[in-house]
Amino acid sequence: MPETVIDVSNLVKSYSDLRAVDGISFSIKRGEVFSLLGPNGAGKTTTVEILEGVRNRTSGDVRVLNEDPEKSRTLTFKLGILPQDFSFIYNSTPKEALTFYKHTLRASGDIQEILEMVELGDKATTPFQKLSGGQKQKLGLALSLVNDPEVLFLDEPTSGLDPRARRNIWNVIKTLKERGKSILLTTHYLEEAELLADRVAIMNKGKIIDSGTPMEIVERHHEDDNLIIRGDGQVEKDLAEGGFQFERDGSYIKLRLKNIRDATSIINYLSEHKTKFEDFTLKRESLEDVFIRMVGEIEEDETE
Amino acid sequence: MKLSRVSAYFSLHARSYLRSRSALFFQIAFPIILILLFGAIFSGSSYSPSTLVIQNESPSSVSWGVVDAINSSGLFKVQLIPQNENLSNYIAANSVQAALLIPSNFTSNLYSGGLGFVVLKGHTNPTVASADYQTLNGILTQINFRASNTTQKLVLSSQVAIGNTGKTIDYYVPGLIGFTVLSTMFNMVYTVPNYRRERLFRQLSFSGLTKSEWITANMLFSFLMLVLSDVILVAIGIYVFGASLTLNVETILTSALIIFGGLFFFTSVGILAGLVSDNEETVSVVGNLVMFPMMFLSGVFFPLTFAPAYLVTISKFLPLTYFINSLISVLDYGNISTVAIQIVWLLLGSAILFAIAVKLFSWKQK
Ligand SMILES: Nc1ncnc2c1ncn2[C@@H]1O[C@H](COP(=O)(O)OP(=O)(O)O)[C@@H](O)[C@H]1O
Ligand SMILES: [Mg+2]
Repeated sequence: MPETVIDVSNLVKSYSDLRAVDGISFSIKRGEVFSLLGPNGAGKTTTVEILEGVRNRTSGDVRVLNEDPEKSRTLTFKLGILPQDFSFIYNSTPKEALTFYKHTLRASGDIQEILEMVELGDKATTPFQKLSGGQKQKLGLALSLVNDPEVLFLDEPTSGLDPRARRNIWNVIKTLKERGKSILLTTHYLEEAELLADRVAIMNKGKIIDSGTPMEIVERHHEDDNLIIRGDGQVEKDLAEGGFQFERDGSYIKLRLKNIRDATSIINYLSEHKTKFEDFTLKRESLEDVFIRMVGEIEEDETE
Repeated sequence: MKLSRVSAYFSLHARSYLRSRSALFFQIAFPIILILLFGAIFSGSSYSPSTLVIQNESPSSVSWGVVDAINSSGLFKVQLIPQNENLSNYIAANSVQAALLIPSNFTSNLYSGGLGFVVLKGHTNPTVASADYQTLNGILTQINFRASNTTQKLVLSSQVAIGNTGKTIDYYVPGLIGFTVLSTMFNMVYTVPNYRRERLFRQLSFSGLTKSEWITANMLFSFLMLVLSDVILVAIGIYVFGASLTLNVETILTSALIIFGGLFFFTSVGILAGLVSDNEETVSVVGNLVMFPMMFLSGVFFPLTFAPAYLVTISKFLPLTYFINSLISVLDYGNISTVAIQIVWLLLGSAILFAIAVKLFSWKQK
């Protein structure tokens, strides 16, 4: 049974009359990549900053590496933190920044090695403001790695980056995952959560709507699967004869499946009738479809 | 407070600072330009003490003591006229600018526990007269202070320009040192809201650095920069414009102490101004609101002795005045003892203000 590194129960954070985090609970095991996935304003950053000890909570229990981040003075040394909207001191270079963290955190890692790991080796002496958005973000990531932390908090690590820079950062996160780091990753990018996370919690308006592996979430919330067949009027005729329900959509014929195995019997049926069709695909909703529907539904409820 | 973290941040800060041309310009080049400018404009000019006619109608050890004190201040060329002379006539006949009458009841009033009035007469030019008035008033307050040992601490603006050589450059060197100390305020005025907006305090806190360590490292660096720019100012004053400053171990250490206190004071003001607003534009307004009156009314750019009375009054409420006056007294006249109490007050006040500023200044998000 892997050890729990982060444990959150009934966490609440209020800003005057706004409950930015509204009674959430989750826990993260050692070596796990856990993603808080939610739209802007969901309360992800607030949650993460409470775990980092940057903000104080209103109520609830929080344990990070068995410590209360609000009270611990030494927790910082064990964490790696890439905050949302990472920024650094004007005119400081990546090398100077890493040297500073290395000294203050009394770490032993090799600076050049860390810079190379995040593909920033050739920018070691470039002043911060002259780095591109992706390079700045990589510096933030590099700084979070100086103390070789057990637990990492990455708050929207690829927000606003171009696809190439995003892929770079994803690769670094994958490497960290391979090295057995426990990572809390917040994002509003579905693909990011799907690609990197072992488990996802979908967060909206301060609440966790659902959590589990991306597969489990899709399993729980997806609408019926569809079998899509490309074919002509003969296909339609044969299907109608067989008593199947379908809709035509351009050159496609779409059949809703109660069970994904029903697809086999439909294809078998068409083969037995020697019906000619060009091709077929099975379409299952992605996490993205599910996510948009869940978050969208809630937003619609709110406006009523 | 961990020294290793202070030194790590000091190094980070110093490197980024030294890479910034504009910061270096304002810290080092700007004061040099100012002293070259003032030195060139005012080189050779000097203020000579004006003549003060004194008529003592109440001769006693006390009244002669007062006359003696005025005379030895070096601020006035004292000219005594006999008791039987008609003062008003004398003023008119000799176009006397300022004459002091010690009336016949002066001594007896004092001995009976009352106030000893003296009267300044005969002014033609109101500006000059008010300067004389201020100076004289200052001297008298000093005498009061020493005699009665009451706790009138803030009597010191009267000490401006107790002259030895009276060369203008002598005055500008301490004035501009005061200016460099005042400028340190802006390190904080801009840094605090900028770091807040960019969330750099949060970022720095991930390194384990605390706000006290951050402030300490900043101030250490500012102090080194101050020492550097002030040494250059003094050197230019002496070697380019022939300022005659009293430089010895005591005056140098005392000046360093005053500068150190000023650094604490204005860093605190800067932190507080930075806390009032989290937006750099409004904070620069706040900063300038603090900066400009002090720059012009605390004696950075012109000696207060020549200022109208109401400006002198205002200057008494500006802390920089006391820093500059202390520096003038120490550097120009080698006179530490008379400003010692003032320096202690400045250091104490700075320490209290600093404690308040550090207390109010929080890195944590609400
Ligand atoms: N310091 C603050 N004061 C008031 N409201 C805040 C503060 N920080 C965040 N909020 C509000 O709390 C909600 C959640 O914000 P945040 O945690 O940043 O969400 P996310 O990271 O998911 O985008 C938002 O509505 C935001 O406006
Ligand atoms: Mg956020």
